[in-house]
Amino acid sequence: MAEVEKNKKSVDTASLELIDKACADEVSLAFDRAEQMKPCPIGVVGSCCSNCGMGPCRVPLPKGKEETPEGKKKRRGICGATAETIAARNFARMIAGGAAAHSDHGRAVAELFIAAAKGEAPGYEIRDEQKLLQLALDWGIEIGDRSNQEIAVDLGEKALAEFGRQEGELLFLKRAPLKRQELWRKRGVAPRGIDREIVEIMHRTHAGVDQDYQNLLKQGTRAALADGWGGSMIATELQDILFGTPAPLLGQVNLGVLKEDEVNLIIHGHEPLLSEMIVVAAQDTEMIELAKSKGAKGINLAGMCCTANEILMRHGVPLAGNFLQQELALVTGAVDAMVVDVQCIMESLPDIAQCYHTKIITTSPKAKITGAIHIEFDEHKAMESAKEVVRTAIENFPRRGKNILIPQEQHDLIAGFSHETINYLLGGLFRASYRPLNDNIINGRIRGVAGVVGCNNARSTHNEGHINMVKELIKNDVLVLQTGCSAMASAMAGLMVPEAAAKYAGEGLASVCEAVGIPPVLHMGSCVDNSRILIAATAMVKDGGLGDDISDLPVAGAAPEWMSEKAISIGQYFVASGVFTVFGVTWPTTGSKEVTDYLFKDFEEMYGGMWAFEPDPIKAAQLMIEHIDKKRKALGIDKARERILYDMEMRRDLI
Amino acid sequence: MEYKIEKKSAPGREEVEVLGATFEEGKPEGEEMGRWRQKLASREEKLKYLQTGERYWYGKDWYGSEKRKNPA
Repeated sequence: MAEVEKNKKSVDTASLELIDKACADEVSLAFDRAEQMKPCPIGVVGSCCSNCGMGPCRVPLPKGKEETPEGKKKRRGICGATAETIAARNFARMIAGGAAAHSDHGRAVAELFIAAAKGEAPGYEIRDEQKLLQLALDWGIEIGDRSNQEIAVDLGEKALAEFGRQEGELLFLKRAPLKRQELWRKRGVAPRGIDREIVEIMHRTHAGVDQDYQNLLKQGTRAALADGWGGSMIATELQDILFGTPAPLLGQVNLGVLKEDEVNLIIHGHEPLLSEMIVVAAQDTEMIELAKSKGAKGINLAGMCCTANEILMRHGVPLAGNFLQQELALVTGAVDAMVVDVQCIMESLPDIAQCYHTKIITTSPKAKITGAIHIEFDEHKAMESAKEVVRTAIENFPRRGKNILIPQEQHDLIAGFSHETINYLLGGLFRASYRPLNDNIINGRIRGVAGVVGCNNARSTHNEGHINMVKELIKNDVLVLQTGCSAMASAMAGLMVPEAAAKYAGEGLASVCEAVGIPPVLHMGSCVDNSRILIAATAMVKDGGLGDDISDLPVAGAAPEWMSEKAISIGQYFVASGVFTVFGVTWPTTGSKEVTDYLFKDFEEMYGGMWAFEPDPIKAAQLMIEHIDKKRKALGIDKARERILYDMEMRRDLI
Repeated sequence: MEYKIEKKSAPGREEVEVLGATFEEGKPEGEEMGRWRQKLASREEKLKYLQTGERYWYGKDWYGSEKRKNPA
């Protein structure tokens, strides 16, 4: 394979090594399929409508020339839908898909939470009483002398009711800055319930319903807020209560974490419900003895995608890789089983597994894959399910072939920066505070804060966008908060250790990182944990000195390698929360100038945050820095002020 | 109380003996490393911490940037 062509696929040497091996083993990867199949030029700009049986209707912009008013009039679907309506419908449906994924994850956690609280899910327990009490205070649940179980049952039922709520507004909205809450109410986008907003998008985008792009995007905003301040936040908070609120710990990342002499079991997907039990099962003496009886030295667990982030943050289980490395993990020939639940799992896995010896195990009734083994996760006998998964991996170990290549590449990272931990690290146990962060933003040592999140996309070089953007931001004294596959990319580049501050960050940011003892890039968790970034931004507002809304803060967001509908939902709830948000790779509404302008320009006036599209990660980072500087100027903290010690005579002159 | 004596170099003199710290160093090792939340043991301590540490939401005397006469 030509070196230039191969290097376009990834910037990660471990991945490149395995892309070569896949080529030699005649295994087709997502990278290859992306080369063989170009994206549909009409669908990619949001100009194709397949919402009824009269279509699909294609309404692309004319190629290479300006559109005339007459031409624009003709650009309609069979039902008369304009390019604006079609682009907005498609965009809103992407939000619905993303919000549904995050929120259904939240629902699954709430159901397990109730079962655990009632003692019907053996092995699960309340691990973080403090967060339980915190949520009880949030939601007006009586604490008194009641047991944790009693409080948890009420809390779980109230959380579950948020999904089916029909009126009023979601309870977590009250956590947002007061001004933001007022704005949502004024704009009519405060979500009434989680499921209701998603269902309403599906109704409105059905043929012949909502045909006003602004009204469609308004509902999109409402559903996205129901994700960020609803479903995702419920998932994060209840998981913290059940499995523990993350605190900093040392971890390792990249495919080099696989071990040649141990049973390698990769846990891939998003929900940590079963994986928490697998972590326990893999340490069981019976399982370890079984592994040894099969000739292995032990059981090596590793994570993939957001499940990886969840079990890394709470148990230090190493990260094998991000989205575009799931196929490559199998290509090592050293993975005895890969267990998956939901979201971002490639259907190609069982086919690739056939070329080696790996067993692909699905566990969710919502996500089965032809060619995989199905071991259904039952929360009432979770340990049994977990042990069956581990046993399947162990029994497959002797079938491992000789065609094995485990790259040496692995890096250290510090993970586990929840909002609670940042608050503690900045102020200590007796006066936890965001004050040091705000002060250092005001004095200019830290220019601003950026959230860089999202996926990998086979249509852009794996990890390149994330790493280049993050390096550019920290070089310019912007503290970076990360989640999901984006966080893993930075960890693979060695940006998530404290030493990275001196090496890559600007002088101001480096000095703060050194004083506090944190890396310049903070790992905040999985994709539902973007809700932690919302809370961190709110804490910055509430601490004072940087305005009274998230839109006043010198902050920005980005997803340089996004691919999933979840990313669109995340972006939309960040924008509607007041954050300027830049996406790379592609933008799904460019088929309509009006819709794109509405999202990129008019939204700023309405919500204080807006979208932007810039495929070049360095240019995108500069757009974020420009926005941060604009906010600094508006706050009056854009220039260093001379410090003068006034004597009495100078004071008298002031009068 | 047991006092720890530490040897330190002093300007213009050789090593001198000084009284060491009497407080817990706060450097947990092994599994406890970094697990700061476990320092709060009782429910009262946890509720108190919410009022102070998470005062932005739960403090009764905290206003920050959001001091206003009427709640939103």
